Amino acid sequence: MNRNVSRIFAVLFGVLAVTLPFFAGDYPLQVARNIMMYMALAITWDMLLRSGQISFGIAGLFGIGAYSAILSVIRAGMPAWFSILFAAIFSGVIAFVIGFLILRLRGMYFSIVTLALGEIFRIIIHNLHDFTGGPEGVVIQKGVIFGGNANSLYWLVLAGLAVALAASFWFEKSKIHFALTAIRNNEISAQSSGIDIFRWLLLAFVVTSAIQGLLGGIFVQSYGFATPDAVFSADFTLLPLAMALLGGVYSTTGPIFGAVLLGLVSEWLKLKIPYGHLVVYGIIIVIVILFMPQGLRQLVRRTSHSADGRSA
Amino acid sequence: MIKLKTENLTKRFLGLVAVNKVSFSMEEGEILGIIGPNGAGKTTFINLISGIIMPTEGLIEYNGLDITYMPAHERARRGIARTYQLIHPLENLTLIENVMVGSIFAKGHSLKEARNKAEALCHELGLTGLDRDTSRLTILEVKKMEIARALANEPEVLFLDEVMAGLNADEMKELIAIVQRVALERHLAVGVIEHVMGVIRELTHRVIVLEAGELIAEGKYEEVSNNPRVIEAYLGRGGV
Amino acid sequence: MVMKRRTAIIAALSFAAAVVLILWKPTVLIYGLQAAGLYAAVAIPMGLVLGIVHIVNLAHGEFMMVAAYAAYFGCKALGMDPLLAIIPTAIVTAVFGWVIFQLTIRRALKAPELNQLILTFGLAIAFTQTINLIFTSQTYKIPLDYVSASMDIGDLTFGVWSFVFVAVAIIFAYGVKFFLTKTMTGKAAVAVGQNPRGAAIVGIDVYRTYGLVFALALALVGAMGALFLTKSAIFPSVGSPFTMKSFCLIAMAGIGNIPGILGASVLLGVSENFLRAFRPTRDWAEIVFFVLIIAVILARSLKGRKS
Repeated sequence: MNRNVSRIFAVLFGVLAVTLPFFAGDYPLQVARNIMMYMALAITWDMLLRSGQISFGIAGLFGIGAYSAILSVIRAGMPAWFSILFAAIFSGVIAFVIGFLILRLRGMYFSIVTLALGEIFRIIIHNLHDFTGGPEGVVIQKGVIFGGNANSLYWLVLAGLAVALAASFWFEKSKIHFALTAIRNNEISAQSSGIDIFRWLLLAFVVTSAIQGLLGGIFVQSYGFATPDAVFSADFTLLPLAMALLGGVYSTTGPIFGAVLLGLVSEWLKLKIPYGHLVVYGIIIVIVILFMPQGLRQLVRRTSHSADGRSA
Repeated sequence: MIKLKTENLTKRFLGLVAVNKVSFSMEEGEILGIIGPNGAGKTTFINLISGIIMPTEGLIEYNGLDITYMPAHERARRGIARTYQLIHPLENLTLIENVMVGSIFAKGHSLKEARNKAEALCHELGLTGLDRDTSRLTILEVKKMEIARALANEPEVLFLDEVMAGLNADEMKELIAIVQRVALERHLAVGVIEHVMGVIRELTHRVIVLEAGELIAEGKYEEVSNNPRVIEAYLGRGGV
Repeated sequence: MVMKRRTAIIAALSFAAAVVLILWKPTVLIYGLQAAGLYAAVAIPMGLVLGIVHIVNLAHGEFMMVAAYAAYFGCKALGMDPLLAIIPTAIVTAVFGWVIFQLTIRRALKAPELNQLILTFGLAIAFTQTINLIFTSQTYKIPLDYVSASMDIGDLTFGVWSFVFVAVAIIFAYGVKFFLTKTMTGKAAVAVGQNPRGAAIVGIDVYRTYGLVFALALALVGAMGALFLTKSAIFPSVGSPFTMKSFCLIAMAGIGNIPGILGASVLLGVSENFLRAFRPTRDWAEIVFFVLIIAVILARSLKGRKS
């Protein structure tokens, strides 16, 4: 797509996104909030994917962020704003520490370990009854951000999405793009070009985990409660994955596309066949991986083939 | 001036000795041929020097610095570069982007500077259509891109790993001229692993011969190619 | 020589641990062994697929879940005992698995490993959610008398039915080993697993072998689905812990080491039950295998880097 055309679209979209609360009803606003949350997570998953590593642990970092935010409010009386920031920092630090352990792993070993870690976090939170409230979870009695105002909560999620978008563009436009792509292509060749693989993987892992934690913090502040099953739900890993795959990986626009499409489709399905929408996610993942692993974006690019053969 | 040297460099893999007490040195400005039958350990030797694998024993010294256990990316930053026999050129990056990588990470240039330098390099090597997908390159272009990629490190020592494989006579001539010019202008020490003896004869100042991981001969190409032990190594093994 | 010494040390430690447990908390050992049997029996087919077709089937546990549901409704409709359903379920699951393989997994075999991971992940979700959609999250169970058979030793009473899993695990382990080493098809499968291109050159139909091995593995899974039904209630997500536990056991034993899975399963089963035996640690039992997976994977990667 022509650069200027896509810029115009982006601006229009942005204006629409910001002003939505003024003309949309409660239900569409709720749907939009959901979509944006998953969109942001999809973007962060993609950001790590660009290095060649598939994470199955989004839910784990999201949950850690959620609990660090809510517990800091309830146990330490932190103001709502700050708790969200704290969630990002805490998740980032956890990721930094785990990174030393797991970023040497590759392929399915890395992926399975991220899955296992997510589950371990969930079980730990579940078991430390006294501190975390155990399986029943915790509730914010007062001091929920913005007093629960729907419009403000929408803008809060939008802010979270904006952070994810900014980070993703940063990853795309800076040296990071070269580092991650070179690593993904061929690690040995990358090393010979001076790339310290571990350092760049750690950067990607910490940044994406921090954003996932940030979103977890935003989530609990939006709903005012957290339970292990709610915040460590596999949905937070599965849906973003499906969205990014569908829209087209290794890009910022792909996950955006995929999130909007899948989000709207699943809302529609929820009305028609309650609970059926989750089946669709599974089927979509299967079909996309088999027949268009590059996602819809590749399909679009193939039909509007540009002459200069610019790569992803 | 000696740029690179190894002393008794050895690599053992679970009972198999791939490189066996090899000692050699390379001088600034010289083009050294590294030959030997298939399986002689040439690529392992280069992998040890570039840091992709670590030795079991021995010493590697670069500009007087002990780099024996230094990580590969550190060595790249200090000025060691090499090409790879890539089966698939690096996808997802265009030709120019591939060349920029070394500039950005080995030398720390900004994206803009790296781009300028990469463009200059490509121009020097006769590469055009820099924004092309690497899947559309001819074999000669892929080789040139690999050399450009290595040169982007602004190296002092360069290893070319069977870079002539798959080229026809004219293309080989072109690359030979490029390597000679590049080595001269940049005062590089160049190591050339090759199976094509014509290239070795024309390009190199000196040759070392490896067989079964050991250094069995050293000297000018004419001396070495008449060395009975070398001949036996090739004929006995059915190499080349 | 080093291997023999290491095996001897492990054997000695295990024996010592067993003696300690028998004297102190015998139920831990008993229930641990029974659980080990179940885990091993489910893990062995996954190991077979991983070793020969070289894919990690993240939908493994879900196939067993689907088999269990099929067995349940089959038994309910025909009024038969799940034990009688073992063979029919095995056949049905094998066919189902073979079809899924031809439709999906086979196409991804040439794709990057990560695509295969995501594919089977997607299949797992599709299976779980389809079952959830059709049957909701309600649990189903077949009440059976023989399942509560128990034995008394001294003042110790324990259920014995679950020992059948141990028997099945051993049968599977040695059955698979026999198949791979003594039959023509099995030997061909091993060849394909080690070197698909080489096998193709000597005339082995690689894809047909893959399909066959996958079907065989799923027959075993199907049998386990029916057997599982005797002891446990089934619900849509009942299969997923088994996927992870199976992977854990295979990672511990090493890919291709089918009998090793038996030993690893004992460690897993006994550790879990050990934690369950004490009130303060009871909730931490489920964490065992996650921690084990991570520990094993890290240990292997460290060992790999040392060479």
